[in-house]
Amino acid sequence: MFEFLFKYPSTVFHQGTFLLASGWPLWLLVLGVIAVGGALGVLVLRKRSARMGNIKAGMVWLLQTALAAVVLFMLWHPALSVATLKPQQNIVAVVVDDSASMSVADEGGATRRDRANALLNGGLLQSLADKFQVRLYRLSDHLERIEKLDQVTAQGTATHIGESLKQVVADANSLPIGAVVLLSDGADNSGGIDLETISEIRRQRIPVHTVGFGREKMSKDIEITGADIPARTLPDSRLEAVVNFHQQGYSGQKVKLTVRDGGKILAGRDVTLKGDGVQQTESVLFNAGPAGVKTIDVVVDTLQGEENTRNNKVTRLVNVDSRKPRILYLEGEPRWEFKFLRRAVEDDRMIDLFTMLRTTQNKIYRQEQIGSQQGLTNPKELENGYPTKVEDLFGFDGLIFGSVDAPYLTPQQQELVKNFVDRRGGGVLFLGGRDSLADGGWVKTPVNEMLPTVLPEKKNSFVRVGANVEVTAAGRDSLITRLEEDPGKNVERWKKMPYIMNFQDAGQPKPGATVLLDAIPMSGGGGRIPLLVTQPFGRGRVAIFATGGSWRWQMLQPVSDKTHEMFYTQLLRWLVNDTPRHVTGSTPKSLLADESNVKLRADVRDKNYLPASDATVEAHVEGDGVSETITMTPEPLEQGVYGAQWTAPKVGSYLVEVSAKRGEEEIGTDAFTFRREDGVAENFHVEQNRELLQKLSSETGGRYYRPDDANKLGRDINYSEAGITVRETRDLWDMPALFALLILLRSAEWVLRRKWGVI
Amino acid sequence: MRLRAVLVAIVTLLGAWGILRAQKPFVSYPGVEYEDFPLPPDYQRTAEFTRARLMYTAYLHVHPPGPGVYENGPRSWTIDYPRSDRHLLAGIARLTRIDTRSVEQSVELDNSDDVYNWPMLYGVEVGHWNLNEEEAAQMREFLLRGGFFMCDDFHGTVEWNIFMAGMRKVFPDRPVVDLDSKDPIFHTVYDLDDRIQVPGMQYVYSHITYEYDGFQPKWRGIYDDHGRLMVAICHNMDLGDAWENSDDPKYPEKYAALAYRIAVNYVIYDLSH
Repeated sequence: MFEFLFKYPSTVFHQGTFLLASGWPLWLLVLGVIAVGGALGVLVLRKRSARMGNIKAGMVWLLQTALAAVVLFMLWHPALSVATLKPQQNIVAVVVDDSASMSVADEGGATRRDRANALLNGGLLQSLADKFQVRLYRLSDHLERIEKLDQVTAQGTATHIGESLKQVVADANSLPIGAVVLLSDGADNSGGIDLETISEIRRQRIPVHTVGFGREKMSKDIEITGADIPARTLPDSRLEAVVNFHQQGYSGQKVKLTVRDGGKILAGRDVTLKGDGVQQTESVLFNAGPAGVKTIDVVVDTLQGEENTRNNKVTRLVNVDSRKPRILYLEGEPRWEFKFLRRAVEDDRMIDLFTMLRTTQNKIYRQEQIGSQQGLTNPKELENGYPTKVEDLFGFDGLIFGSVDAPYLTPQQQELVKNFVDRRGGGVLFLGGRDSLADGGWVKTPVNEMLPTVLPEKKNSFVRVGANVEVTAAGRDSLITRLEEDPGKNVERWKKMPYIMNFQDAGQPKPGATVLLDAIPMSGGGGRIPLLVTQPFGRGRVAIFATGGSWRWQMLQPVSDKTHEMFYTQLLRWLVNDTPRHVTGSTPKSLLADESNVKLRADVRDKNYLPASDATVEAHVEGDGVSETITMTPEPLEQGVYGAQWTAPKVGSYLVEVSAKRGEEEIGTDAFTFRREDGVAENFHVEQNRELLQKLSSETGGRYYRPDDANKLGRDINYSEAGITVRETRDLWDMPALFALLILLRSAEWVLRRKWGVI
Repeated sequence: MRLRAVLVAIVTLLGAWGILRAQKPFVSYPGVEYEDFPLPPDYQRTAEFTRARLMYTAYLHVHPPGPGVYENGPRSWTIDYPRSDRHLLAGIARLTRIDTRSVEQSVELDNSDDVYNWPMLYGVEVGHWNLNEEEAAQMREFLLRGGFFMCDDFHGTVEWNIFMAGMRKVFPDRPVVDLDSKDPIFHTVYDLDDRIQVPGMQYVYSHITYEYDGFQPKWRGIYDDHGRLMVAICHNMDLGDAWENSDDPKYPEKYAALAYRIAVNYVIYDLSH
């Protein structure tokens, strides 16, 4: 219809430049319209009948002036100047998507690859070949020239459209490429087409015409879009897998979400699916198990009729570290909380708890507990009291302060405790007590800055009054206070806990702090006091558990109940799990899905945990048949951080051991793993990404086509600024639309006159 | 009316449940030796620690009547009470950093939750105790949850057998062992490698440190599965009398001093294990 009215296809108008071919100036046209309009105005006013008022006369004048303007416009010879490709002197690059997503069979049973081949073999390729030289390519994770269409197999492991088009554009520097035709579903998995690539294509003025294949929406499918699991943890830690997914066609149904290790189900739960297309987030708690690298699969069970079952699973690596963090607990007075805290964590084989108990005014009772083992591994350790040197204190991963008044530590020790968190990255826990927090004089100390609450200025903030404990909204989901997997049941479980014997007013939480538990005094008043508050500080983390009375959770519940043990184990693991060592190695992506480049990173700190910018850092990579040592170089904007790029040559798991030295002195080592898997990326987002294809074509001056109307491509492709072109002028004065407008204007005036009875 | 009765019943039951779950208040009982012992002025002050004294049903006679036989009837549990307890608590307050109450707490194994609020339990003259199965079951639960039981002032073979008859209802299979001098309980504050028999007040008159055939002091105990002492048995000695009479110039200082040191070590052990 457009071409019928406007004489040429829309592509011509899109590509062409409008001009007035008569050579007369535009201002003369405007002047002419004004003059004719004025003359017509006088004529209409003089000759109007009595029944035609001013408004009606005005409308008649407008219609007559518009008619005259159209005639004058036609006399000025409007035209379009458009570049067209010179036949047989240009190359058209026909790029066919060869990735695995093109093997998906949509409605009708034919695969996308088959439909693309059918379109090309059904006349499109011939129509292009009649006028241009055609170069055939196939694209997946790279671009490759092919001779015949049957070389397109739809087995490519990834789709990198941007990278592939860059290669075509590079060819255009030496070849007259007039246009690119891309036949694809647009399911790019390299993160999209970057601005630089688009800019380069536009600079070359090569239009990219896209033909989109595949449905834009599956009718029955569940797809996992992401899964977050901590990359590192301690053995037997409780971890949370946060899973994002969406579905089509199964709204309201239940499906099982599981976490697996090598096929063995570690944990799972039923979830109810939300509305079609709605992004849903669910979590599953599971135990990390013993030390080692775990390949964790997060799986949503396949439901009947699912069109794509390969996107129901994602894989993540978890490095379960075998190190044993050390915690130093200083208790200022013998009390029940001290006894029962030690008992609560005694079965945690991965925590080394070293305690110093002030038994009398000038005696300290030292104990060490590694799992159930009791006894000092080094009897001389800390026999002179609480650490005063950096290397002694920083040898621990976490600190606990019981009912300890601030003056017990010197100002230097207090500053050291703050640096322990800020610089070392350790965790510190403060328990409530008659000499703790505000009552212990901690307000006016360097430690105050790192506390998660604003300590009150008053004394007697510690009271021996019973209080019930409730979990907050944040605590309901936190791994520290998660006693039950289901958050709703978790809330109910906390409500049934025995009351605590005492609590301390630790003040209001600071911005950025998280309150996980509240104490509700049994003396009434309706108030809630923050009981368990956490916050990050510097590189570490701080918590206040403002009571010395949680021991009743052990003594007032049956011996078979392990709530108290679970709570303190989870709290102490949180305290130390993320405490870094002198060398911390990492990679942003522990799983390479259909890519081979990996970025290695090492954070190096000296013995005082200051950034070591002058270290020699190496990464030794071991894989299946691969062993290579890479020198890591300092990152320019991050002190003490070193980086390197590496390419994993083949699929499989790789172990990276990072070592740092300063001269001959070893600073430390660390190890982490990553894994390369192929054939994964194409399983996800297999719907046609029409938006990407349309944007690509519109940004480059091309057009997007569905397969059914791609036959117009043969005609539209002629119009391009690239390659070898000739400039043509196409007349517009004889467009049927203009004649139709003339008739319309004249008819409108006649109809109005008839209606008003003034003919 | 009916609804009201039901509501009253529910509230009463809930209240009773609450009471059962809660601590019982301090009560001063008349004892065998002291009918009306004066209360310290701060007896109502709440504190972190106090030692609980076990109230139990006693066998009236376990020995054949005769000279040197002292049996205290149904209120055996009140021997030395409360003077011994309060002297002991004062000593603990002076010698350690423990925030202790000035008065004891008397508790019974009555199937309520009260005993669990007092993790350190002391039993005197347990050579006369008569624990039934329910009481033994609760004692067992108390100890396995983390409680600590110290028993003292029982002498000789006959009283040992009575004690063990009760203890075997608590733990049929756990062995009772002699405590090694290297055990941490003898070194938490004081090093008590050299220990002597601490006699009761009768020593002042008899100059004999033992009673019946309890010639040798026995420091014994029962351990839990983690190697912690949960029952500390002081057989053939009378620490209770030593604390009770520590302010009596007739009672030798060396016994009183040792009794306090033993108590401090035991209490610190309980609060740290």
